[in-house]
Amino acid sequence: MSTEKQSLRRTLDRLFVPLTVGPTMLWIAAVIVYPTLKLFWSSVFWTNPINGQREFVGLRNFQRLIFAEEGGAFLGLAPDFVSITWHTIVYVGLSVSISFALGLGIALLLDKDLKGRGWFRTAVIVPWILPYVMSGLMWRWMFQSEYGAINGLLTQSGLLSSKIAFFSDGTLAMMALIIADIWVFTPFIIIILLAGLQNVPEQLYDAAEVDGAGRISRFVNVTYPFLKPSILVALTIRIIFDIRALDLVWVMTQGGPGKSTEVWASWLYRTAQVFNRPGEGAALGVVLLAVTFMIVAVLYNVFGDSPY
Amino acid sequence: MSTNQSTLGQLIAALGLDTDNEWPHVVRERLVAYGLLGLYVFVIWFPIYFIFITSIKPSGAVLDIPISFLPTQPTVSNYVEIFQNRPFELYTLNSLIVASTTTLICVTLGTVTGYSFSRYDFVGNKALLLSIVGARMIPPIALIVPFFTIMSNPPLIGGLTGSLYDTRIALILTYTFFNLPFAVWIMKNYFDGVPESLDEQARIDGCSRWEGFVKIILPMAKPGIAATAILAFIFSWNEFVFALVLTSSEQAQTLPIAVSLFVADDFVDWAHLAAGGMIAALPGILFGLFFQQYIVSGLTQGAVKE
Repeated sequence: MSTEKQSLRRTLDRLFVPLTVGPTMLWIAAVIVYPTLKLFWSSVFWTNPINGQREFVGLRNFQRLIFAEEGGAFLGLAPDFVSITWHTIVYVGLSVSISFALGLGIALLLDKDLKGRGWFRTAVIVPWILPYVMSGLMWRWMFQSEYGAINGLLTQSGLLSSKIAFFSDGTLAMMALIIADIWVFTPFIIIILLAGLQNVPEQLYDAAEVDGAGRISRFVNVTYPFLKPSILVALTIRIIFDIRALDLVWVMTQGGPGKSTEVWASWLYRTAQVFNRPGEGAALGVVLLAVTFMIVAVLYNVFGDSPY
Repeated sequence: MSTNQSTLGQLIAALGLDTDNEWPHVVRERLVAYGLLGLYVFVIWFPIYFIFITSIKPSGAVLDIPISFLPTQPTVSNYVEIFQNRPFELYTLNSLIVASTTTLICVTLGTVTGYSFSRYDFVGNKALLLSIVGARMIPPIALIVPFFTIMSNPPLIGGLTGSLYDTRIALILTYTFFNLPFAVWIMKNYFDGVPESLDEQARIDGCSRWEGFVKIILPMAKPGIAATAILAFIFSWNEFVFALVLTSSEQAQTLPIAVSLFVADDFVDWAHLAAGGMIAALPGILFGLFFQQYIVSGLTQGAVKE
């Protein structure tokens, strides 16, 4: 081998890390860091919808979204902010807790030594892999007031005499959304918890059984300590993904009827794109970003030791 | 009848429900488990079944009362019509191009970078890795305003291309934002599980770092690469929010948008929507049925591992 070739090899080897890490970092700087900085930057400007002129307004965008005021007099929190935050809490809280309970139950069943559990696992995972838009519209069709399957089942079996207009009632529309959300995201909980259950040493179950521990005591004392890291990951990802999720809400209810199913994600989209107020949309984005990081920090400080 | 009984007997034995070999309470527990799992699978697959039979009903029959839960007069006309009356071949093409290009970029960069993160303790290693974890937590929807602005008037290349709004390039660039950190993270965790002695052996055998990586390590990493690729493809294929914000015509709109377009203000064309939805769902269903173990391993590598 010639010396030039050798030295080229050596130079390339010395540059291995910069050449393998550098391009990715530049890419990340361009598609993540730059847009995130721009988000903060956009949140302090107000754009005139008529001539597109931008004006620096400081924290006015945040103020306008969160607080109610009239003629400079402070009147408390903005009603929209309060109700939309409440919808988000209800939506995320109920979806996450119900799908967690369901997912844990199914994961425990799938962890048993059952023949054909591979088939069950496949069947159980599929809803999560489908496009959320398709799943949302599918559930909208299921809950459709005249021709939907749920009304069909309820009336044709004689359980109900008249059909229910699910999407004309705020509470029922929220319930439909939550059911769709549980349907879509429970597989994710199952996958993560099932992987965690594989870490529980089999002998410990046997030992607990010998000691005469009951089902509940076995779960609390044997399964839970090993499962805790997976539970934390499943809950964290589930919550932060639900707060940001627009797809289901947008194709099922668009926040309606009225504003009864408007959540932060749909509020953000509506503000930025439908009402064409990028400054306020960006301000909401900043709030969403901050809330996400706060939730992760709280969950990990309360339940866990190290983040990821 | 006797053959029936023996098949039933075989089934019972195959499922481990025969009391000859096991304690009765074990058998009872298994029966309950099968019952509950069966019920759960039936309930979650029912909507998929219903939208599927909606897609193969004649479009008028979708609005029949009473609702028929069996596919009466099955037809493919809805599938044919969405390609005839709407540019579904373009939507499908856009989805394919966007998802596969995003996947290619993220898998390539994620693999080489994940390897370096796993093997080398370079300056800023920890900080960069932490920033990648942090980047994964950024809610994509928070960034719709900056991405819209950037794509409408891209810096640096703006003078060359003008606006990237309503182009597939805009979607590809945007989708790398949530897929690339994920790819780096999965691949780093995957390489952590490949023994370092293999690298050392390659070095002893006279391989350069590049040769050792390409010839020895990369073949070992195929399952990790497959998992990353499948997940990146699915995430990009299914993405809706940025496609909604960044595209407006069939030159860039993807299948999730195409399906949502069947919803008009008051009227929803359910039969054709169902057909479009089934096409959009097809890769997911196929990946789920045939590559389930990659999806599971990718997700757990990406989420659980330290």
